[in-house]
Amino acid sequence: MRHSFTRAALMLCSAGWLAATGPVFADEAKPEAKPLKLTTTADHTKFKQLQKTFNSGPEVTKACLECHTEAAGQIHRTKHWKWEYLNPDTKQTLGKKTVVNNFCISVASNEAACNSCHIGYGWKDASFDFKSEENVDCLACHDTTGNYKKPSGLAGNVVTKDMEFPPGSGKVLKAIDLSKIAQKVGKSSRDTCGACHFFGGGGDGVKHGDLDSSMSAPEKELDVHMDATGLDFSCGTCHKTSSHDVAGSRYTPTAKDSKGAHVRGKADNGNPATCVACHSNAPHKKEARLNQHATKIACQTCHIPSFARGGIPTKMTWDWSTAGQLDANGKQITKKDAKGRIIYESRKGDFTLGENVKPEYVWFNGNVTYTLITDKVEKSDQRTPINKIGGSPTDGKSMIWPMKVFRGSQPYDPVNKTLVTPHTAGNDDTGYWKNLNWDKAIAVGMNTSGHPFSGKIDFIKTEMSWPINHMVAPKEKALGCVECHSKDSRLAGIKGVYIPVRDNNKLLDTAGWAIVLLTLLGVLGHGAMRIVTARRH
Amino acid sequence: MAERIYVFKRFERFWHWSQAGLIMFLMLTAFDIHGTYTIFGFEKAVAYHTTAAWTLIGLWVFAIFWHFTTGEWKQYIPTTEKVLAMVRYYSVGIFKHEPHPFKLTQLRKHNPLQRLAYLFILICVGPLLWITGGLYLFYDKWAAWGLTGLQLEWVATGHIIGAFMMLAFLIAHVYLTTAGHTPTAHIKAMITGWEEVD
Amino acid sequence: MKLTTTLAVGTALSLFASTAFAYDADWKRGRVYYRSVCTSCHVTQPVGTINPSSKTKAEWAAYVKADKHGKGKETVKQYVSKTYRESIKSGNKAAEKFIAVPETELLADIQLFLQRGAKDGEAPASCN
Repeated sequence: MRHSFTRAALMLCSAGWLAATGPVFADEAKPEAKPLKLTTTADHTKFKQLQKTFNSGPEVTKACLECHTEAAGQIHRTKHWKWEYLNPDTKQTLGKKTVVNNFCISVASNEAACNSCHIGYGWKDASFDFKSEENVDCLACHDTTGNYKKPSGLAGNVVTKDMEFPPGSGKVLKAIDLSKIAQKVGKSSRDTCGACHFFGGGGDGVKHGDLDSSMSAPEKELDVHMDATGLDFSCGTCHKTSSHDVAGSRYTPTAKDSKGAHVRGKADNGNPATCVACHSNAPHKKEARLNQHATKIACQTCHIPSFARGGIPTKMTWDWSTAGQLDANGKQITKKDAKGRIIYESRKGDFTLGENVKPEYVWFNGNVTYTLITDKVEKSDQRTPINKIGGSPTDGKSMIWPMKVFRGSQPYDPVNKTLVTPHTAGNDDTGYWKNLNWDKAIAVGMNTSGHPFSGKIDFIKTEMSWPINHMVAPKEKALGCVECHSKDSRLAGIKGVYIPVRDNNKLLDTAGWAIVLLTLLGVLGHGAMRIVTARRH
Repeated sequence: MAERIYVFKRFERFWHWSQAGLIMFLMLTAFDIHGTYTIFGFEKAVAYHTTAAWTLIGLWVFAIFWHFTTGEWKQYIPTTEKVLAMVRYYSVGIFKHEPHPFKLTQLRKHNPLQRLAYLFILICVGPLLWITGGLYLFYDKWAAWGLTGLQLEWVATGHIIGAFMMLAFLIAHVYLTTAGHTPTAHIKAMITGWEEVD
Repeated sequence: MKLTTTLAVGTALSLFASTAFAYDADWKRGRVYYRSVCTSCHVTQPVGTINPSSKTKAEWAAYVKADKHGKGKETVKQYVSKTYRESIKSGNKAAEKFIAVPETELLADIQLFLQRGAKDGEAPASCN
């Protein structure tokens, strides 16, 4: 342990003191003569394989695999590696490789940029070898120094010699010291998971709303579990991982966990990343009534009163149809709001941002159906759902869930009636972000993703739902009753449940008050007459 | 001069006034919960309403016991005798200062209309409120009790109807306390136990 | 145990310590302390919050070395000291959590966080 060792070292340095109390020191030091790390069974600085200069990521991986012989094979089975997932319920093939969203739209043809978040090295196009062991990136998840970086544009590769990128831009990507990083590997952390998951959608907090860099060392108010000075959970504490396969999924979420708390020894193949997995289905000790609420309402609904609470805004809308404006000099422009946050970019269009956003609430049963590039879409007043959230008050499987609903307008093919996969990123003459030409960008992108494109382009309004799970507030900050039990209820749009106050029957109230009023008028009239007649007598 | 008779015994008066206080407090919190106004706010109002309801139940346990041990329960047995006379008195006679058609005694301390009204509260409004209120309170036990077909909306509606009826009763009841021998005779009786009768 | 042996072992260990086992600073702990202790106070002090990214690595190194807080009225180190942590621990969870950490280690942690979070560091950082 560090402490004991430093203490020993300090003792040794003070020679005078040492002379006087030598024997005592010796006794004290005996049981802990050797500094011992208790957080791991292997001090990686001691491994010869890592005490060398590494010139690329795969070189490090090869060194890792010398001992961790099965690791790459385990990784190969995961969504994090394949970016492909077959939804067993809908039979849809999903995964980042395949799905289309309404942020940066799609990965196909943009691999070099997007795949800096792939846990591999060198996925620049469809030729990437998914069987390669050395292309597995161990450090993306196991770095503890915080210095490991995979810059966008390098297909997930790392920089080991300072380089100018993009070439001719004058910007220099700094080399990282892979040897030092490799010698300090450890468990995954909020920082390693966050390196990608906090920055999804192209920037800090853009995509999720409940995940952004404020969660790397949050205070209790922001997240009661990850509280850096309190419980200090890492992502893996809940997303309990075995064989490198991280539990929890946005493709097949667990909307209602009726299995109860997970107990050692209990045969259980449930999702360990649910609230219920630890808290059980009856966690409210004082107010049993709330446990009844919890049979219809997801924990998150009350316990995450709002998202993007950490001071970092999340994107709420994105209108690609306004992209492409140039200034008088023909240069790309950027507009900022009063707080200096970008709300328009020529290459991306208009955005709106939100902080402390109240979620929208829906019945959700865990079924998510994506609108894939192969699905027909129809332009209408209704927004096209990027992912359709299944659920109803009566299916017995749904709970009321909080969602971030991200709305946008994105290019589509009005002839083939499909969404499109534009080529956006890339230092070439077709990438939209450089050339601002949809025709070329979409033609190239669709060609890469292997789907027909008519050549016609229009914009279609879409929405995508993100179940809110993180930024769980301390219990004192959970929603109060009136948030829902009121006329302007948060659950105003929720059908199929009777919510006292929200659902007060107007007719009943009118009739009731009429009776009360008539009684009052009756007795007042009667009394008045008594007074009047009393005077006459 | 009027004679005085001892109508309401000590416990009866205690029961009446604590019940009156509790019911008025229940009313106050009820319409707070209902969203008619905000005094305590939904969350606290629910807690207070629940506590007051349990307290009232406790009081009733004693009151029921008292009614049976003393035989006072007979005061609520309905009678058709003089009902019409009472109706006539309240709608006509009272304005002409006719004598009260009902002679109050210790064995018959409620006039026939009163008996009917109290009985109605006792067997209709009361049970409606208690049953729906109890179901409301134990909403989380419905499944365990096998009440799968029950809808919260019905329970809520029943409870609200009961509340309005109780409020209307309260108004009429308070007013009719002034319809005694003198306007304050009934109230004095309920405080001191002694009522002046003609 | 004889004094000579002890001294010999001690010297050997000291040498060892200064080379292979120099304290391995924990920037994450430094981050938490900086944000929860330094920032929580600075938010309300006239100075306001100070982002690590507001200074360069060299400036931060010089600042810590000069050890002057409040225009030289006091030291920086005192705010990392156990005595200080002890004095605020009832109202500060970070001070409480790290109460047992030796001052030198905690200072090293904070320094590493500042080096990483500096304007020209690996990960320019804000206060939160």
